[in-house]
Amino acid sequence: MWKLIKKRVSFWAVLLATVFMIIQVIANLSLPKLTADIVNKGITNGDVALIQRIGIQMLGISLISIIAAVGNVFLASRISQGLGRDLRNEIFTKVTNYSNDEFDRLGTSSLITRTTNDVVQVQNVMMMMLRMMIMAPITLIGASFLAYQRDHQLTQIFIYVIPVLLIVIGGLMYFAVPLFKRMQKLTDRLNLVFREGLTGVRVIRAFRRDDFEQKRFDLANTDFTNNALKVFSIMAGMFPLMTLIMSGTNIGITWMGANLIANQATETGNMIAFMTYAMQILFSFMMLSFVFVFLPRAQAAADRINEVLNLNTKIKDPKAPKSFAKTQAALQFDHVDYRYRKAEELALADINVAVHAGQTLAIIGGTGSGKSSFVNLIPRFYDVEKGRVLVNGLDVRDVTKADLRDQVSLVPQKALLFKGNLRENMQYGNAAATDEAIWHALDIAQASDFVKETGKGLDMTVEQGGNNFSGGQKQRLAIARALVKDASIYVFDDSFSALDFKTDAQLREALTNDPQMKNKVIVIVGQRVSTVASADEILVLDNGRMAGYGTHEELKTNSPVYQDILASQIREGAAVDE
Amino acid sequence: MSETKHNNGTSSPRGGGHGFGGGHANLPGSKPRNFWRTTGRLFKYMRRYYIGLAVVVVFAVTSQIFQIRTPKILGEATTEIFKGVMRGTAEQKAGMTVSRYPIDFDKIKHIILIVILMYLASALFSFIQQFVMTRISQRTVYFLRRDLKRKMKHLPINYYDTHENGDIMSRAINDMDNIANTLQQNITQVITSTVMFIGTLWMMLTISWKLTLIALAIIPLSLIVMGIVAPRSQKFFAAQQKSLGLLNNKVEETYGGHIETKSFNHEAKDLTVFKAENDRLFSASWKAQMISGFIMPLMTFVNNLGYIVVAIVGGTAVAHGTIALGDIQAFLQYTQQFSQPISQLANLANTIQQTIASAERIFEILDEPDMVDTQVEIPDVPNDPRKIAMEHVQFGYDGSEVLLTDYNLDVHPGQMIAIVGPTGAGKTTIINLLERFYDIKAGSIKLEGRDTRNMSREALRAHFAMVLQDTWLFTGTIYDNLKYGREEATHDEIIAAAKAAHVDEFVRQLPDGYDTVLNEEASNISQGQRQLLTIARAFVADPDILILDEATSSVDTRTELQIQHAMNQLLKGRTSFVVAHRLSTIQDADNIIVMNHGSIIETGTHEELLAKNGFYADLYNSQFSGSLAV
Repeated sequence: MWKLIKKRVSFWAVLLATVFMIIQVIANLSLPKLTADIVNKGITNGDVALIQRIGIQMLGISLISIIAAVGNVFLASRISQGLGRDLRNEIFTKVTNYSNDEFDRLGTSSLITRTTNDVVQVQNVMMMMLRMMIMAPITLIGASFLAYQRDHQLTQIFIYVIPVLLIVIGGLMYFAVPLFKRMQKLTDRLNLVFREGLTGVRVIRAFRRDDFEQKRFDLANTDFTNNALKVFSIMAGMFPLMTLIMSGTNIGITWMGANLIANQATETGNMIAFMTYAMQILFSFMMLSFVFVFLPRAQAAADRINEVLNLNTKIKDPKAPKSFAKTQAALQFDHVDYRYRKAEELALADINVAVHAGQTLAIIGGTGSGKSSFVNLIPRFYDVEKGRVLVNGLDVRDVTKADLRDQVSLVPQKALLFKGNLRENMQYGNAAATDEAIWHALDIAQASDFVKETGKGLDMTVEQGGNNFSGGQKQRLAIARALVKDASIYVFDDSFSALDFKTDAQLREALTNDPQMKNKVIVIVGQRVSTVASADEILVLDNGRMAGYGTHEELKTNSPVYQDILASQIREGAAVDE
Repeated sequence: MSETKHNNGTSSPRGGGHGFGGGHANLPGSKPRNFWRTTGRLFKYMRRYYIGLAVVVVFAVTSQIFQIRTPKILGEATTEIFKGVMRGTAEQKAGMTVSRYPIDFDKIKHIILIVILMYLASALFSFIQQFVMTRISQRTVYFLRRDLKRKMKHLPINYYDTHENGDIMSRAINDMDNIANTLQQNITQVITSTVMFIGTLWMMLTISWKLTLIALAIIPLSLIVMGIVAPRSQKFFAAQQKSLGLLNNKVEETYGGHIETKSFNHEAKDLTVFKAENDRLFSASWKAQMISGFIMPLMTFVNNLGYIVVAIVGGTAVAHGTIALGDIQAFLQYTQQFSQPISQLANLANTIQQTIASAERIFEILDEPDMVDTQVEIPDVPNDPRKIAMEHVQFGYDGSEVLLTDYNLDVHPGQMIAIVGPTGAGKTTIINLLERFYDIKAGSIKLEGRDTRNMSREALRAHFAMVLQDTWLFTGTIYDNLKYGREEATHDEIIAAAKAAHVDEFVRQLPDGYDTVLNEEASNISQGQRQLLTIARAFVADPDILILDEATSSVDTRTELQIQHAMNQLLKGRTSFVVAHRLSTIQDADNIIVMNHGSIIETGTHEELLAKNGFYADLYNSQFSGSLAV
């Protein structure tokens, strides 16, 4: 937490905020002293002029106090919210430069929480620190000093009160904090069961399990309610107890004060002022103890943020990058080994393929066979362990990531569109693309029909994640988006799986017949033999190893794994081999 | 994203709310449409607790009265001390030596004893009041939640299809939370604030009506301050909330699409957009924080103003001997308390409005029409040889075009019906009608000779089991998920089903076996394994009619073979409707329903349809040509 703040917050601004706070506290603390003076000097002596003079002083001090408060609040708001803004910018910059490795390591949803919730936590605590956390100790010191100065004998009362206060607060925390933590879990559970009732409504009804769901929810609801009853019952005791401690202190002061006054050891005005100080001292204690409840939470948030900021991506640009100018489209894997971070086994072992402009490379294999790893090595989302990946004849580690990714156009397995309109989505990889070029790409991707049907054409809106399209439509739009980009290598990572046979076939035909594709490399990853069969080269992956490499005809005779896949799919597509 | 991640505890003034995630529904200033009616309805929910509520009101009022009375009584002690001092000084002035001022300690003891009792009583009453209110509020919300969940059982599927889950969740969680918090805290606050306001005013009046008038002068002043500051702070809080939401979306989108971001070299552009929104957030949020931070010092200042004037006037009065010192001391305390209930009531008005708006959103769901059980005057066909018969069926979703005009289909026991069509052809419509998720507009669907609308939905669905591509499983053990198919299933039946569906093999490899708890996304098992579980679940159900959706992708070959095998086992001897992606399935089918754009285009056997040379033939041939290119 400290580390996070030290570098990003101006020392002088914090100092100034503290000074404002000190002024505010001193002003607030001098008010009871003046009240006491009114009583002691003004009223006792019947000096009306003095009372008025002190009154004007009090007004002036109030003004100073409010000006100081405004200054402090202004600075505290700017500093804390500014810290939040800077942290968000830094984290966002850092994360967008992460490679897949770092994303895998920290997890996408965790990264989102770190950028959003965690920063808000830190920012809130910063605000609290600059206000309450400085105020409490200053008030505590100031009030104690003044109280002592007023009457050091009365100060004895705190020897009894403060331990009682601490024990009460500590005791409440001891019982309440675990219940609060449990409450969070039970809330999650309650929400989960309710959400499952929504997402699974068809299954629940089809299996006539409505009553089971009701019982399941009732259980969660009862657990939650019982815990809430405990938590809030403790809380119900807290406020009266605090009030009781404060009131008790006042009574104690009155009793002790009466004795001291009787012995002429102090004055009535002192006693009244002392009561005010006592209240401020107790308030500061309570404030501090609550601040300490918040601190651990913010500390945990700060730790998570630090983890992001301290994690540096391993995939770096070379010092003297080469240029793709005047290169021909080509893709080669030269004895490539790849291993996921900390994995025992290789995800890819000794992969050796090469295709040149105008050729199509297809990759087939089961889940976990290494197809996605292969794809991810091309735009250098990961680095190889051994061997080389060559794009247009250059090692991907010898060029900048930006240059490399300009050459590779990828359709990921899971199609994702961005909020905005369709044109913006299509121009995602090529901001200068004309409507004509976009329509051409939509034609190839077999997407122009349903886009035209909407009547809005390229201006139609796209919801977050592209959720206003069906899975198949999203997939085709993602394909079109990749085609709009002008690259050397086009990679389709299992992109045809959400399409039916007919659309799949039409799309591949349009793709291979497109004149613009003649001097490009196409990489198709698929599960269906029909999808990959027409490729120039087919790579069969099994458990990260090359289980075949060649044309459909060759593999049919020399790759047992390919034959297996073929056999399993012949039954479904009886016509494949006729 | 999950709605559960709303932050708790650190609420900011006037429901502005920090925290991401809670961006929906509860913007400050959302106003209820019919305040009093909804309030009345909410109170009806608490009717079981009228006695408890009465206790709360009585104890809140008495506790508050004690709390207000005590400073005045303790003030009497000060007065007593002061009297002693005055007497003592007078004696000193008269030349007597006074070693100890003649303070009446018996009287002070007496006063202190009373004060202690009053404070104790006040604390006790306040505790009882809070304790009872906790029970009332938590139980009320418990019932409200239970009723909402019960309602979900009676809503037609159409409601689920036309309302976003996020919206329903937001009502079930955020709105419910709002109500719980308000019932828990704010109702008693309304009572105590009102009592405090009236009580303080009354106490002040008993001391001095002149001073009270002076103190009252601060009310309009504080109202003016609130009137100026509060709307501005709300405006900035709303802007902050909006920016937070947008920024949150941007983060989710960019991180979620990091593959796209990287492969399209979009990092710099995303950062520019992010920074611009972040700057907007900063400029709204620091202003929101600052202005809401002003409220406290401003109110304190206004308060001090009243305090000083009272001190001057009161001090003068004491000097003239028209008022006792203890009275002034008490009065000053009352002055300090006075602005508290005013600003609190102003805040509460806002919160309560938001809460009633929340309640309204929940009642809105509770008021949705239930599923209707329409009996139709279509006589049963005794000994109908057909398992399922669709006769002159007419159907279309509410508000959209008619999909089926006069559809007829006979399904005999044991037959397999394939449903085919291009991506997005609306193949679920048939499932919706068979399971009666939706009712037909005209015609009749008969199960074993009886119109399905003349049977209860439960009885109808007992004949069916579904295996869909959306492999919904609930968060519970694998065993319970299998048992989900049929509650009365025995242990042996469940294990047998698991074996038949190739579930047993992988479950035995899991450390907890059948007791493995599937997590929310069921990510501790693979997609293919989830599919197998849904098949096993259907096995457990052991229905006479099956609805199957063949998996198309994201499953490896081995698992795919297992799934296929399991499905074939399941199909054996049952009447079935299969959303088909495999040629073999289609060719084996007794009848094929061809769909496009939500409506049924053709029906017939494979050969009949090919002979027709229509849409199906086209679909089939395009697939054929794809394979011929091999």
